Amino acid sequence: MTPPPRPLHTDPDKRKSLDELAALVGDGTVVAVGGGLSSRAPMALLRAILRRGAKGLTVVGSAHGIDIDLLSAGGALSRSSESYVGFEQDFGIAPNYRRALESGTVEINDSCCYTLVQQLRAAIQGLPFMPLRSVRGTSFPPLHPEYRRMVCPFTGEELLLVPALEPDVALMHAQYGDIKGNLVIQGPPVADLLFAKASKTVLATIEEIVPTEKLRELGGVGIPYFYVTAVSETKMGAHPTACYPFYAYDRPHTALYYEAARNGADIFAAEYLDVFVYGVADHDAYLARIGGEASRARLATWRDGREAWKRLYTDKGAL
Amino acid sequence: MTKTCTLGETMIAALARTIEDGTLVFHGFGSPLVQLAMHVAKRTHAPRMVLVAGATYGVDPDPSFLTPTTNDWAMDRGAACSLGIEELFDLAAAGRMGRMFLSGLQIDRWGNCNVTALGFPNVAMKLPGGGGGGNLSCDAGAITLWTAAHRATTDERGRRRFRLVEKCDFITNLGHRAEDGRVRHELGHRGRGPQWLVTELGLFDFDAEGHMRLKAVYPDTSVEEIVANTGFAPKLASTIGTIPPPDRSIVEMIRKLDSLGVHNKELRAEDRRRVFPLVA
Repeated sequence: MTPPPRPLHTDPDKRKSLDELAALVGDGTVVAVGGGLSSRAPMALLRAILRRGAKGLTVVGSAHGIDIDLLSAGGALSRSSESYVGFEQDFGIAPNYRRALESGTVEINDSCCYTLVQQLRAAIQGLPFMPLRSVRGTSFPPLHPEYRRMVCPFTGEELLLVPALEPDVALMHAQYGDIKGNLVIQGPPVADLLFAKASKTVLATIEEIVPTEKLRELGGVGIPYFYVTAVSETKMGAHPTACYPFYAYDRPHTALYYEAARNGADIFAAEYLDVFVYGVADHDAYLARIGGEASRARLATWRDGREAWKRLYTDKGAL
Repeated sequence: MTKTCTLGETMIAALARTIEDGTLVFHGFGSPLVQLAMHVAKRTHAPRMVLVAGATYGVDPDPSFLTPTTNDWAMDRGAACSLGIEELFDLAAAGRMGRMFLSGLQIDRWGNCNVTALGFPNVAMKLPGGGGGGNLSCDAGAITLWTAAHRATTDERGRRRFRLVEKCDFITNLGHRAEDGRVRHELGHRGRGPQWLVTELGLFDFDAEGHMRLKAVYPDTSVEEIVANTGFAPKLASTIGTIPPPDRSIVEMIRKLDSLGVHNKELRAEDRRRVFPLVA
């Protein structure tokens, strides 16, 4: 049976509000979150999704941190197929993610980066599966009964087959884009290009929407418009993760987040969720709460040279 | 002029020695000791090494300081280009990646690592997950394992908790013996598996069977101490050496590159105080 054709998004003006984007993430869907670790996570959109009260999401991805930890704290997940969720050596294990998965409210369905890549590639190519040589012999195949083994008809070697993965929704934050949905991603794209091409719906927040003709001088379009469903211009949309060249990783804010998370679900709800997620009506109110223009200016000082950049990792000064 | 080096610096130099010139080497997230080892190797004995930074996938970056997170623009400054995630893993699958560094909260005698969960399927503690370790442990030509938490601790109920364990609760990264008991060569993987393990107590290699074997100690550790802190009986090399301190120029290089002291976060407080004399 040939799978149905992949969607094509051709609306000439895809601008919507952040809340309209969040409303397109249905309960119980499979969601791929863009960016990676402390960079370019679509945090404003994730906060809007939590305010909407999303439930039962399955998340798929490679390297994650505060994004998936926050969704865990907000009770939005029912299954995690992530490859890594943590705060690296900076702070350590992701506390909310850990609690949600250990309590059994979120099913543990861990994957590996290249397994995910091959599954996305199968979807992008309209194929039912892709082969892998690796992973055989680890504990991942028993965790994933959907994997199959085959003997290669050409070489006789044993291969692992992983099924196509077509996420329902990809969420990402790009530095630049236009109203048609063309996206420019500067710096490491992580898995965003694969997510955009493999997913049914692609929702992007954009730091700065510019005229189409300006995109080429900004580095060229990484994700052509026809993959993208809807966009929303969202300044500081990745905060507290970095969105260079606009702003660096807000380490003091992340320290505040982590301290609350480490102290348990109730304290995290009172000191973080009720202040920075549910306690603000929208993204503008969030920006005011984190210190507005002063915070933005502080995080832009990475441009002022090595010592200024280093200070962003040692200074206190979070709100 | 500095007369001593720290344990961290000695570990970094030991990790760097496992890198061959002219090979492509990659590290994962949350591994400052390894990041520094790769930069040391590139600037000393392995100038033709292809250094691919974890998370940014920058090729041969020249950062002016180490940040506490790996996917930061500071970490790919000076890189000629950045690879896409699929390109990086394709390199390993096709046999172009010479070495990868891996770790785990459990490491067994065959070099299997668990970074997924303690207790499985009845999970006592969810760990962050292995990233691409399940793939790269099979595909990369050789693996250097490391941990800065070899020394066993005692939990609140008085039970000893080993980092080097009899059996991993979950095999995230494949060592020399598979989950189903098959030995590595039967699986037909491209990579030869773990070759070295560097810990804060000693240096191990793996024998022809793929079993972990103690090879060297630090000036302040002993075979007895290492055996007592290991959850299985490690094999012992016929002669046990001492891990040499790095050259002074390497110590200075590390201090300049890691001016924020990020790599100390990998070390326990008591290990941060360990220092060794530099050779004059």
